[in-house]
Amino acid sequence: MNTYEVFLKKAGRDEFRHAGSLEASDPDMALMYARETHVRRGEGAEMWLVDRRHVLVGDESALAVNTDKPHRHNDGALVAARRKEQRDGSTKETT
Amino acid sequence: MPLDAAAREHLLAFADDEHMIGARHTTWIGLGPFLEEDLAFCSIAQDELGHAIGLYEILLEGSDIELDAFAMLRDPGDYRSCWLAEADCSEWSDSLVRHWLYDRGEALRWGALTDCQDGRVSGLADRALREESFHLAHAENFMARIAGSETTGHIATSIQRLLPVARGMWDIPESGDPASTGFTSRSVPELAAEWETLIAGDLARWGLTVELPTDSVVTAQTNRTVRSDGFSDFHADLKRVILLDTSAVW
Repeated sequence: MNTYEVFLKKAGRDEFRHAGSLEASDPDMALMYARETHVRRGEGAEMWLVDRRHVLVGDESALAVNTDKPHRHNDGALVAARRKEQRDGSTKETT
Repeated sequence: MPLDAAAREHLLAFADDEHMIGARHTTWIGLGPFLEEDLAFCSIAQDELGHAIGLYEILLEGSDIELDAFAMLRDPGDYRSCWLAEADCSEWSDSLVRHWLYDRGEALRWGALTDCQDGRVSGLADRALREESFHLAHAENFMARIAGSETTGHIATSIQRLLPVARGMWDIPESGDPASTGFTSRSVPELAAEWETLIAGDLARWGLTVELPTDSVVTAQTNRTVRSDGFSDFHADLKRVILLDTSAVW
């Protein structure tokens, strides 16, 4: 048995959304079971099934957030100071 | 449009077949071989029960008889179901084979009603056939896979056991073949012959070599007036809830 991920899209401009998963022996059986388990009451206007073995999975290192990079950190303080300086200078010139 | 005796008996037999097989299928709720199949099979069961309700409604139109009481509380001798629909198939292979044999026949039976001059009947036949296409796809998909990989002989044994019983589906009630008055577009023997061809074709396509029995329970069913062994227990189960309160509204 293989696992298939079911995605449904409602009519209109909504995007496909993950609706669940199911197990089946092959694609034809998966499509048949998806019909019975996910769209029997018109839950979607379009349906995708994806064999989970064909899903590319990002590993932990790809998903980990790296917060330790002060070398490229920019909180905007320098820009703010420079703009303040410019503002103050232009104010003096007009008075 | 009033129904003549042959038409009434034909619809009653069909309704009782749908009722019994739907009820038998529902016994797999929670017990199917895996979750997805459990859901699919029980969905088919609900469709069959829905077909039975549709046919009972036509039969009871203009009558004071409550549908639930008619469906559940008749005397056994007043039912006209065939033995295939009544059979206790507690082995999954038996239930699967019955599902295939019955639905192959059911689709032909509905097909012979799509041109019925009674609009209630032809309308119901059109709706039922849309569901039958899924039932047949389910039976065919499942049987093709399990038959192709069978090593235990379960499926072959079930076919040999159930084929003679399934032929009882073509037993004509006492009032005669409704094709004789034009109520159905094809005679029962004609449907039965096509069904045998379809069954043999399925087996050949699946590569399943089974020595097919040639006998039938048609004679023993006696125009569908005789109930099968075990019917009284099955009927008692069917009635158990309604008898708690026959006036309850569901």
